[in-house]
Amino acid sequence: MTDTIPLAEARSLVARARAGDIGALEQLYRAYEAGVYTLARRLTRTAEDAEDVLQETFLEVCRSLKSWRGEGSLWGWVRTIAASKALMRYRREKVRATEVLDDELTVGAAKEDVPLRLDLEAAMTRLPERTRAVVWMHDVEGYTHEEIAELMGMTTSFSKSQLARAHQKLRRWLEGAVT
Amino acid sequence: MMDRHTTTEELLAVRDGEGTAWSKDHAATCEACAAELFRLEQVRAQLKALPVMAPPRDRWPHIASAFKDERRARLLSGATGLLAAAGLAALVFIAVRPAGGDKASEAAALDRAMARSQALEQTLSALSPETRALPGDAAAAVAELEDRLARIDARLNDPRSWQGNPGQAAQLWQERSGVLSALVDVHVTRVAQAGL
Repeated sequence: MTDTIPLAEARSLVARARAGDIGALEQLYRAYEAGVYTLARRLTRTAEDAEDVLQETFLEVCRSLKSWRGEGSLWGWVRTIAASKALMRYRREKVRATEVLDDELTVGAAKEDVPLRLDLEAAMTRLPERTRAVVWMHDVEGYTHEEIAELMGMTTSFSKSQLARAHQKLRRWLEGAVT
Repeated sequence: MMDRHTTTEELLAVRDGEGTAWSKDHAATCEACAAELFRLEQVRAQLKALPVMAPPRDRWPHIASAFKDERRARLLSGATGLLAAAGLAALVFIAVRPAGGDKASEAAALDRAMARSQALEQTLSALSPETRALPGDAAAAVAELEDRLARIDARLNDPRSWQGNPGQAAQLWQERSGVLSALVDVHVTRVAQAGL
C-alpha cells in the first residue's frame, strides 16, 4: 500500500489530532485501517489476531503522534508500529517459538484435503505464520533482512533462509506438486 | 569457475540487487537459473498485487473510547502531580523565605500565579477542546502551546529545577498561566466563530 495522504495534508491532520481533535484521529484511522489490517492479517494467524493488532496499532498511533516529526511518510511510520505490534506477538507467545518450516505443522491433518494445485493466496496461508511474515515483510513491504531480524528478534540468516525455503515451497505448491 | 547452479537464497539476493558477482553472472548465462530468477520476480509481483483486506468490523468506536479513557486518566494524573508540585513549591518557599518585603511579595506573586493557572485550567476544561475541530493554522498553534505546557509541567513536576530558587517556581507558574491563557483564547475564538 502506498501513502494515501499527501505529506502536507498529513502534517495538518496530525497537528489537529495532537490538539485533541478526535475527528482528525478518525480521518487517520479511515485512511489507514485497510492497510494496517491487511498487513496484520498477513503477519498473524487469525482474523481475530489481526483485529487486535489493528486496535493496538491505532491506540499507539493516538498516544505517540507527537513522536512523528512530519518529515517521512506518515503511512511508513504507522506501518512500522503495526509490524512491530504484530511481530511482538511472536515474542509473547512462546508456544509458537518452535514453529519451523520443515515441521509442516500447519498442514497437519488437513493434508489430504489440499487441492493439487494452489493459488498464491492459498499457498501463502499454508506457510507457517513466522515464515509467511518474513515473505510478506520482505517481498511486499520492502523490509530488509536486517530490519526483519531486528523486529522479530531473530538473526539475519534466519530471515534469509526462511525466505528461500518459503519460495521453494511456494514453487512446489503453485506448480501442482503438493508435498 | 564454480560447477553448480545458484541456490534459491543466492537467486533471491540477485533479484533484490544484492547478489555476488558470480551469482549475477551465472543467472545471466544459465537458462535454468534465469528462468527461476524470472519466476521469483513474478511471485513477488503477484504477492504485491494481492487484494487489500477490510476489517470485518468497525474498530474505531472501541479505539476512540479507549483513547479518551486513557487521556482522561493521564490528565487526572498530571493534575494530581501538579497539585503536589504546587504544595511542595509553597512549602519550600515558606521554608527558605527570609524576613523581608521583597520575599513576601514574591510569595504573593507565587500564590497569584498558582490561583490564575488553576482558574484558567477550569476555563479551558469547560470549553471541552477535544470535542471541537480546529482549522489547520489553529491546530498547529494549539499543538505548539500544548508542547510548551508539557515542558513547563515537566519542570514543575521536577523540584530539582526550582527548589533552590523559589523565584523560579513563581516564574514557571506565571509562564504556565500565560500558555493556558493563549490556549483559552484560541478555543474561545473558535467557539465564537462556530456560533456565527
